[in-house]
Amino acid sequence: MTAHTAAGKLQGFAADAPWYEAAFVAGITNALNVAADGLAPPGSGPLLEPVEEERAGAALREVFAEIRDFHACPDVPLVFRMLGRDPGYLAELWAAWREAFTDNALPRRLKASLAFAVSLTTRSGFGTAFHLDEMRRLGVGEPGVLEIIGVTQMFSSYTKIADTLQLEPDMGHIAPVDASPAPGGRAG
Amino acid sequence: MPTVRLRDVSEYPEATRKLFDVAKSWFKYDFPRPPAMSRVMAWNPEFGGPHGRAMKRAAAPGEFTRAEKEMVAAIVSGVNACDY
Repeated sequence: MTAHTAAGKLQGFAADAPWYEAAFVAGITNALNVAADGLAPPGSGPLLEPVEEERAGAALREVFAEIRDFHACPDVPLVFRMLGRDPGYLAELWAAWREAFTDNALPRRLKASLAFAVSLTTRSGFGTAFHLDEMRRLGVGEPGVLEIIGVTQMFSSYTKIADTLQLEPDMGHIAPVDASPAPGGRAG
Repeated sequence: MPTVRLRDVSEYPEATRKLFDVAKSWFKYDFPRPPAMSRVMAWNPEFGGPHGRAMKRAAAPGEFTRAEKEMVAAIVSGVNACDY
């Protein structure tokens, strides 16, 4: 991880903001995948009864509408409807998700691709299919999809070689350091 | 600590040593000595060669930039809990 963060900084992402955003995408992607795959295993129905939209309260309906709008999908994905059993929890999870995937230092198209790579690496059936659809919807073509698959696969190889031989990070020092303060803060 | 002794550049055959220059241009960084992974992959050029070329084919600029792909690589490494 150290080597590629350093390499990415040398290749153009020199500031820290894109890396914070990438980390948030990785985290929240994994969070949703855990629930989506775990609570609706293949070959089985959902382990939690999903909330039907017409029976949801006003606040939950609003969250469901935002999900459909943000992802341009006709139906709210099952995982969100299962988590909607606690509307307050879903509202906070959704707010974090929406923030993580909104265009900012990184474009949404790249964020969907990072989420796809996370899902493929963790063998999440839900996440792989969901974020692949998102990549395509956001304009990534077949060559781009294959590029992300190739990078995911090759670096799944390098990481296992490094782990097997217990290589120690030796490239972290080559990355430029971002001395800017946190958003809204002052330089120290 | 590595479970194998990583060889110094001078311990590799002359032809293999040339491959270490590729790392400098790939990373746009003048390493005083090649990174550990470069030296590992050079142990067997019949493996490291095609593996490296597949990586470069995937990671070269295309629909995504090289920097974007390094970010994908960093995320994959993070998810795999690999410090290197």
